[in-house]
Amino acid sequence: MRIRLLPVWLLVALALGASLIVALPGASYAYQDREHTLTGASLQHPAGTDELGRDRLVRVSAALLLSLAGALAASALTTAAAAAIGALAAFAPRGVAWLVMLVCDAFLALPWLFLLMMVRSALPLQASPAHSAAITFLVLAALGWPACARAVYSGGLGLKRSDWIMQARASGLRGAQLIRQVLPNLRPLLLPQFLVCVPAFVIAEANLGALGLGIGEPLPSWGGMLLELDNSALLFRTQWVYFPVALLILVLLLLEAIPVEA
Amino acid sequence: MRRGRVLAGFLLAILTAMAAKYCLAQAAMRLPGELAWNIGYDPKTFDPAKVDDIDSETVRYLTGGVLLRFNRLTQKVEPQLAESWNVSPDGKTITFRLRAGLKFSDGSALTSRDAAWSIQRVLLLGDSAPVSAEFVAPDGVHVDAPDARTVIVHLPQRVVEIGKVFDEIAIEPAGRLSEGRVTSGPFYVANYLRSQYVRLRRNPYYELRDADGSVLPRASGVLLDIVENPEEQIRLFLRGDSDVIDRLSPEYYEMLRQRNPGTVRDLGPSLNTEQMWFNQSPASPLPAWEKAWFRNQAFRVAVSQAIHRDDIARVVYLGHATPAYSFISPANTAWYNRNLAPPRTDVAAARAGLLRAGFRLQGAQLVDADGHPVRFSILTNAGNDERLKMATLIQQDLSAVGMQVNVVTLDFPALIERLMHTQDYEACLLGLENVDADPNEMMNIWLSSSPNHQWSPSEKTPATAWEAEIDKEMNLQATSRSDAVRKAAVDRVQQIVADEEPFIYLVYPNVLVAVSTRLEGAQPAVLEPELWWNVEDLHLRGTR
Amino acid sequence: MKALSRLLRSLARTLALVLLVMIGSTLLVRLAPGYLSDAREMDARYSNTVREELAQEAARSHSLPRMLAREANSWLHGDAGISRQFGVPVRELIRPRLAVTGGLLLRSLLLGWALALTAALVASTRRKSGIVWQAPATLLLAIPTAAMATLCLLAGSGGPVFVMALLIAARDFKFLCRMLRQAWLEPHLLQARAQGIRMRRLLAVHVAAAIGAQLAALAGLSLVTALSALVPVEVLFDVPGVGQLAWNAAMNRDLPVLLAVTLLMALAVTASGMLGGQPSEWERA
Repeated sequence: MRIRLLPVWLLVALALGASLIVALPGASYAYQDREHTLTGASLQHPAGTDELGRDRLVRVSAALLLSLAGALAASALTTAAAAAIGALAAFAPRGVAWLVMLVCDAFLALPWLFLLMMVRSALPLQASPAHSAAITFLVLAALGWPACARAVYSGGLGLKRSDWIMQARASGLRGAQLIRQVLPNLRPLLLPQFLVCVPAFVIAEANLGALGLGIGEPLPSWGGMLLELDNSALLFRTQWVYFPVALLILVLLLLEAIPVEA
Repeated sequence: MRRGRVLAGFLLAILTAMAAKYCLAQAAMRLPGELAWNIGYDPKTFDPAKVDDIDSETVRYLTGGVLLRFNRLTQKVEPQLAESWNVSPDGKTITFRLRAGLKFSDGSALTSRDAAWSIQRVLLLGDSAPVSAEFVAPDGVHVDAPDARTVIVHLPQRVVEIGKVFDEIAIEPAGRLSEGRVTSGPFYVANYLRSQYVRLRRNPYYELRDADGSVLPRASGVLLDIVENPEEQIRLFLRGDSDVIDRLSPEYYEMLRQRNPGTVRDLGPSLNTEQMWFNQSPASPLPAWEKAWFRNQAFRVAVSQAIHRDDIARVVYLGHATPAYSFISPANTAWYNRNLAPPRTDVAAARAGLLRAGFRLQGAQLVDADGHPVRFSILTNAGNDERLKMATLIQQDLSAVGMQVNVVTLDFPALIERLMHTQDYEACLLGLENVDADPNEMMNIWLSSSPNHQWSPSEKTPATAWEAEIDKEMNLQATSRSDAVRKAAVDRVQQIVADEEPFIYLVYPNVLVAVSTRLEGAQPAVLEPELWWNVEDLHLRGTR
Repeated sequence: MKALSRLLRSLARTLALVLLVMIGSTLLVRLAPGYLSDAREMDARYSNTVREELAQEAARSHSLPRMLAREANSWLHGDAGISRQFGVPVRELIRPRLAVTGGLLLRSLLLGWALALTAALVASTRRKSGIVWQAPATLLLAIPTAAMATLCLLAGSGGPVFVMALLIAARDFKFLCRMLRQAWLEPHLLQARAQGIRMRRLLAVHVAAAIGAQLAALAGLSLVTALSALVPVEVLFDVPGVGQLAWNAAMNRDLPVLLAVTLLMALAVTASGMLGGQPSEWERA
């Protein structure tokens, strides 16, 4: 049984390792070693440096803690909201379901980019990078639910027609009791949704840098490091650019491997 | 069973591979003898009089025949459709003599009537023809065509460097608007597929000849592929589907230098500058103490001294930029002030200057005389990698003198709204592109009454003595007939700006271009259009 | 009778959606910072022209209801308004791009489904859940679309369809895998497999039916996935499609164009929703 929890322990170890690296005396994610920019691995910089000469290992570690915490929290929020809304729509009267799905569709189509621009302009220019990061993830969570909610809705409809629900309803189970029975059954649907949201949010945060939201310099952002991948000139100069994406995949695989029934 | 699975896996692999091959993006096919390069967006207009964006400008440059052409390499005005031209001693009358036997690309004759009509049209269009503003007082200009080959332009007042203005006025057939289909320049617009390409064909009636009498332009046409993504531009260049790339970024320059040595050229500092400035506008919603810092000359000088421009040039531009202290680039040999004595990078001096100005350190944090911590944000436009990096370097440089800087990137419209309308920003980092070497072009930036006077737009009266002096010197250079007086005035403005630092100049980015080894006749120049200013001479090896 | 009422209901729904989206996007664009500014203002040569244009736009757009009325009116007249940026009727801008984007979507959906189905079928019949199968899908979902596009450009092979298809395939694969695995574990299928009934037959008769309803929802979802990847893919590969236009319009606050694109998106999403919802409606009827 122990072996099944291995992914959890690995994730914890990863987080601990990252915290250790960040907390190490002399480690700074912001210090620019301008004589050594975009170098490969060396004793001084085990994972090389970025374009401004900042230590990549420290930056990736800090980003792992920061972006991942943000993205995980936002994904959890979004998935929870989607589960609630989707299940509500599936089990509520048809008029309500109609309305909820209509709002869902409208939500999916609207250009939310502009809302993010408005959020930025409402935020003071001096808002600290951490502050702006927290708000960004919150907004992302608030905008991410509709696609997921639709999947839950159709999954919920399927459940509603299943024999055991019929049975449960026939034997007098109502409302909240029913939902409590249904939610665990939606888990196989929710887990992949949650996992898909994590990298999506990590990258969305980075893309929002274009609007002045997201994690500002000099705080490291995982998404920002992933976006380095779309610059072929950088890829040409050092292979270490792939480091953050490799780590992200590892984390996602570990998340996926966590046993759901445990 | 097992065999089925293996088969399925195999099928999957083949399917993926085939998909990869099949889905290759297609570029427009190039015709024999045709040149090809990329423009970023659709030209907004094909009407040469209404051009106001760089891509329309490219089309106008390649298709429009002009009376005078400003040679981008020698930086001298040369007659083109005109055989000769002269300006009267008072500078108010310009007389052109057209070449004999000129024709448009459809074979119809080009006379002085067409030339006069084209100039008049630009003047009549007023604000929708940006060139007209260069006549200073376009309403008072009269154009005559006394005979078939003479055009006379009467100006109400003298205009500095009037010859260059005619470089931007394409001569079109009188009364027949053709949107570039009938031209008097080397090419005409043959085909335009929105958001895909613009195809230009050689004007068969083009009059100009080479020194040895051969037909110009040498290329049979130009294919302008509309490609916005620089990655894609590089790919097309490497595949031989485009012949030149202008405005290469330093990173791509280095990549091409390694992959295809011999195709890239660093032409040295451009006329453009990258600078940072503080918001000094009295109308801004900033707290009073911040306004006081930004209006304090000692504060601005200290910031300038704390910034390591060498690091910016080396780290951000990979060495392809030159540290800047003035708005005129050393590439602009005629106007650059060689005796300029700007405050150089010196962190100790910056600290001392701040102390003298009443600032003091509280731990690592700088505070002003009233105890307000010195904290501000630097705004720059999103999507510009170099500017974000510069701002991040400056962030660390300024933290060395105790200032806490927040870097904020905004998309352009949101940025412009803050700069031009609400004035709600503290400091801004942007670049200025100078198309023209003559400082008269920059009048609107230096006159304190101008809305483009960035650090404090539209001042009713100059806020400071030095701004009043800049106004005076700039007006002097705009009206004086003596080149020496103009040069002295501009030199003085450069020194004032270096002393007062309303703009803290950072670097002059170098002009980086790529030219295919198959292309002959290219003579890249620092002035725009760097690569195709001599398009008549460009041709692919082996084609004439 | 029933069919008619259903048709009416879906018509009403579409109308309500169009209205919602129209009001929502007009509001969002108008209130976004920089609606009344233009990069050319910074250039002294053009600032006069631009200021005049902006003043006109400000006069036109200071009341939201009137703005909405104007947009609705231009839609009723069929040209969908004049682009603020290009000065060309929006219909003219969109029509050629629609064909390009439609083709791209269709091809990548087909390819994506083919890849996902094949992969899921193979993976689900394995007894052990192979990390070998999950890893590539996770990889595809973790790499930013933009980075994938750049890698394709760099490698000189693979284009927009390829990238989109991979994305769709990766997303669908995970769902399909889970569904198939569940389907295989149904008692009757276990029994059938134990009895040695041929795989092909089982697939055709039992598994397909079990995942049928979910498959339709999945199809809808993959369309949504494809649409969300449309903008980065088209921008990076310079595909002259609707996604590229949308990005341009957003960056230039070009309301009429943006509105048209958004409405198209809304309709596509609704269509995909109907695709997902129909089997259940049909079963209940």
